[in-house]
Parts: sequence; C-alpha cells; structure tokens
Amino acid sequence: MKVLVIEDEVDLLISISNYLGKENYICELADNYRKAWEKLSIYEYDIILLDITLPDGNGLELMKTIKQFQIKAGVIIISAKNSLDDKIHGLDLGADDYMTKPFQLSELNSRIKAVLRRRHFGGTAVITFNELSIDTNGRRVTVKGEEINLTPREYDLLLFFLINKNRVLTKEVIAEHLWADQIEMVDNFDFIYTHLNNLRRKIKTLGGVDYIKTIYGMGYKFSDL
Amino acid sequence: MKFLTKINRNYLVLFTAILFISSVAGYFILRHVIVNATRESLLEKKRMLIEQIREIGEISNLYPLLEVQKLDRLSGREPGFSLILINNMTEDELEPYIEYSEELKIGDSLYSLKLRQSSFESEDLIIILSLSLFTIIFFSLGISFFISRRMNRTIWTDFERNLETIEHFNFSKDKKIPLVHTDIEEFDRLNRVIENLTEKLSADYLSLKEFTENASHEIQTPLSVALLQLDEALQNNLNEEVFKKTITAIKALKRLSSLNQSLLLLAKIENKQFNVDAEVSMNDLIKRKIKEFETLFEIKKLHVEVTYDQDFMLKINTQLADILLNNLLSNAINHNLEGGTIHLDINPDGLKICNTGNPNTLTNDTVFNRFSKGNSKSYGLGLAIVKKICDTNYLDIKYEKNDMHCFTITKNSQMSSEK
Repeated sequence: MKVLVIEDEVDLLISISNYLGKENYICELADNYRKAWEKLSIYEYDIILLDITLPDGNGLELMKTIKQFQIKAGVIIISAKNSLDDKIHGLDLGADDYMTKPFQLSELNSRIKAVLRRRHFGGTAVITFNELSIDTNGRRVTVKGEEINLTPREYDLLLFFLINKNRVLTKEVIAEHLWADQIEMVDNFDFIYTHLNNLRRKIKTLGGVDYIKTIYGMGYKFSDL
Repeated sequence: MKFLTKINRNYLVLFTAILFISSVAGYFILRHVIVNATRESLLEKKRMLIEQIREIGEISNLYPLLEVQKLDRLSGREPGFSLILINNMTEDELEPYIEYSEELKIGDSLYSLKLRQSSFESEDLIIILSLSLFTIIFFSLGISFFISRRMNRTIWTDFERNLETIEHFNFSKDKKIPLVHTDIEEFDRLNRVIENLTEKLSADYLSLKEFTENASHEIQTPLSVALLQLDEALQNNLNEEVFKKTITAIKALKRLSSLNQSLLLLAKIENKQFNVDAEVSMNDLIKRKIKEFETLFEIKKLHVEVTYDQDFMLKINTQLADILLNNLLSNAINHNLEGGTIHLDINPDGLKICNTGNPNTLTNDTVFNRFSKGNSKSYGLGLAIVKKICDTNYLDIKYEKNDMHCFTITKNSQMSSEK
C-alpha cells in the first residue's frame, strides 16, 4: 500500500511516516507543492494525505492536478483550518475525507482504512482477527462464525479497535472517534466504559476471547493474548 | 449648532447692523447735501437780487421768502445762515425755514436782505430718500441673504452626503469609502485625506483579522506535532506514573487546541465570515440534536423534555445554528446534576432551554463573558460563542435562574425594522 504524505511541517511528516511505516504502508514524503506535484506526475499511490497550506502553493490546487491526471488514489485532506468552506470545497474536488489538525494517528489509520475499503484497493471488506470477523459492507460481526448483535456504537468501537490493534487508545481518542462532533464539550469519558463492557460481554457470550486490555484505567489496547 | 445656521445667524446680525448704520448715515448725508444745496441756492438768489436792486432800485417783499429793508446805518451783524421757525399763515402752524441774512450797501443805499427757503419740503425729501435707501438696502441684503443661503445649501449638500457615508462606514463590510466628488478644493482635499485614512485602516483591520486567523492555524500545527509524539510515547509500555503523566499532557494540549479553535470561531463570527444560507427549522434541528446527544444524556441520566409548540424558523448560517444548539445543549448537560432535567420549549417567537443545576453566582450580565466559568472544567467560551451568534443574527438571549437555569432566545425587534 503506497501512501504519499504531503505536509510542510517536517516533524509532523516524520511522525506520520514512522507510524504508517509500522502499519506496513510504503510512505513517500513531500514537504512542498513542487515536490508533491513531481511525485504525483511520476508515481502511483493508493492514498494521498494532503495538507492544504503549503509554503509554495495551495493543496486544493493539487486536488485539481490529481483530478486532471486521473490519479486513482484516495485523498485525505489534512488541514489546520477547521473551515467548512474548505472542507466542502475539498470534498467537491474529489477528496475522500477531511481531517482537522490536531488529529490522532489511530484516527488517521481508521480513516485511511475506511477510504481503502470504500475504494476497494487492497482493503478487503472483511476484517478478521482470530475468531472475530467483521464484514464492513454489511456491518456484521461474527464470533466463531456466529453473528452477534451489536449496537452501531459497539460495532464502531470494535472496528476502531481492530484497525488499531496493538495500539494504546485513550478514552479521549475513542470518544472522539465515536462522537466526533459533540465530544468536545464533554469533560468525563467514563461512559466509554459502559459501551466497552457491553461489547466484551457480547463477545464472551459466544465464546470469544476478551482481547481488550485496560491500561491503568486510562486507556485500552486491543491485542492478541 | 450647524454650520449653516451659524453662518445665517451671523449674517442676520450683520445684516441688521448694516441696515441700521447705513440708514442713519444715509439720513445725515442726505440732510447735509440738501442743506448745502439750499444754502447755495439762497446765495445764488442773493446775487440775482442784488443785481435786480441795482438795475431797478426797488424790490417788493415776498414774505416769508424775501424781505428787503432799507437801513439808515449798518448794525454790523455778520452775514450768515440760520434756521428759523415761521408761522404759516394758511395752516397756522410753525414751519422751519433756512434764512440767509446780510446787511450790505447797494449803490448808495444800505439794505438788509433776508432770503428764506422752507426746509419743510426738503425735510420730507430727506425722509423719503432715506426710506427708499433703507428699502433698497433691505431688499438687496435680503435677496443676497437668500441667494447665499440657497448656494450654501447646494455647496454643502455633497459634504453632508459624504459625512453621512462616513457615519455609516463599516470596516468589516465595506472595502472603500464611496465619497462624492464635490468640485470644491477644500472638500475634495478632505475627501482624499479620509479616503487615504480609511484605506489604511481597512488594510490594518484586514491584516489584524488575517493575523488572528493565521495565528490560530499556525498554533494547530505544533500542537499536532506534540500530540502525535505523545501518542507515540504512549505505545511504549510505559509504567503507570509516566503513562498518567503523558495522558495529562495530552489532555492539556487537547484543551489548548479546542480553546484555540473556540477563539478562532469567535473571531470568525465577529468578522461576519458566516453568511446566512438557510431558513432553519428549530423543531427539526432540535430533534436531530437530541438524537446526537443521546449518549451524553444517558451518561448523566438526564431527563429531556421537549415542547414542540409551533416551529421557530430562523434565517441563519446552518453551521452556526448547529454550533448554537451544540453549545446550549452541552452547557445544559455539563452544568446539570446527575439525574437532572433539561427542558426545551420551542414556540414561534423563540426558544427556551432550561436545566437543573447547582446554584452559581453568574448573572445575565456575566454569564456570557469570555472565560467566565460555572465550573472549573469548562473553557468559559461556549456561551460567549452562543451570545456572539445571537448578536450577529438579530437574536436576543437572556439568562434567568429560578429553580432552573434558563436561556431564552427571541428574535430581536430591530430585525423587523431593518428588513
């Protein structure tokens, strides 16, 4: 899976590429408009992470280039501007998603996977992990071949964990992923616990293993035993 | 006092003074001229009289205009003019006369000559002339007064119009100030100065606006870097102490980031960067919002009651409408008690949202202030944003507390007059 990260802030660029490397993506980096344009015109990518504000040009202009070259990559815009206009404009130009800085890498991963699934390049619709299997098209989860009935929140929670397995996810990160818009005003994330426990219970009822570890009461990690 | 009134008032004072002085002066000048002329004519008559006496030797009196008497000897009186009163026989009243008397020797005889001329008619003449002078001055001054008044008015019209333009100039809306060219050098100079000033101020205003926005954006990037690094650090099997410290740092940075975004949002609302794009039905919006907030209501076991009476329609930017309700609902949740109540009441005139909660010291005047907090966990910006949205969308918002904390939003009466 090849990813082109276009971002002018070098620290951010390195953080993202390190993380994506660990997640087995092949990362190429461009820290300005010119480099990005060159790479886009030569190579093919599956995913492009695009920052709008570049020192020598506007990321939205690159969107036009991508369209013009008929590049098939999925595009996720990463912007410091939480501006609805930019978002609408970007999506109109053919971007698949729009993220506002600051964001968490687990959230980025989740969005990349979602784009890949939607676009069907490499992202299979069914994600399996030991006895667990998630059919992302039908939003169905089976444990040892038996379907379990999850609420939409529980489903999203499980999917988020599976995509970010072996990664410590804080309650805030989970809450932000599941209740993106409203969560900003909430000061206590203990309610995650309720949803999590219901999920654990439902999986265990069907003989599944509880892969979700609680870390010091402040975070969770989904990993094989 | 208005400039024109001031000029007119000064003009009137001057006008009265000129009229008075010129009339009085006119009277005396005329009088002097006429008296002189009378004297001249009396002297001329005297000359003719002497000639006649010399030729004929005899002359009859013509009282009161002419008195000639033969004298035995000269009394030595100096010749001269005097003003005397003589009884008019026909009308039996005293009339003023100018008299010239002289004693002189004509041929061999001595004569006393007294020549008189009634100054009664010339007095009349003086008065008539003075009056007509007065009238002429009065009318010419009056006409010039009205003409100059009219002229002033046309001259100042453009100025007044420009003044009005300046009064209504709004930096956030207008880029250039559209002043009218006046054809008067001083006014045009003033226009140029004002145009240059506003252009500069506009540029400053714009750069300040951009600065606020850019600064906020620039803050987000390093925050992102810090957050990503800390998130990575979390993945390294940390011991409990370091783990908790890292999470505390992440939370603080998150707080900083959303604080920054709230401030940016406030600046954007203030700068009117959100255009009205829809007529929002509050009924629909609230139904949607309550669904979105369901989980959050559940966490605190809140009881939500909504009274949908008739719909409250609002012309507003959809994003702002969303933020407005988000903030109001979040406020009602965060400051609520465990197991408390939220009551929403929608009617055609407005929207009322009430929640149970602990007593606080905030009032209608302070609750909307930036960074005024009901509890230490909030930013104190949510309601400031609500207020700003109301202010920019012709809405009034009021905070009341009795047994519940209530916010009432109503349409501003100004709106109807403006539209």
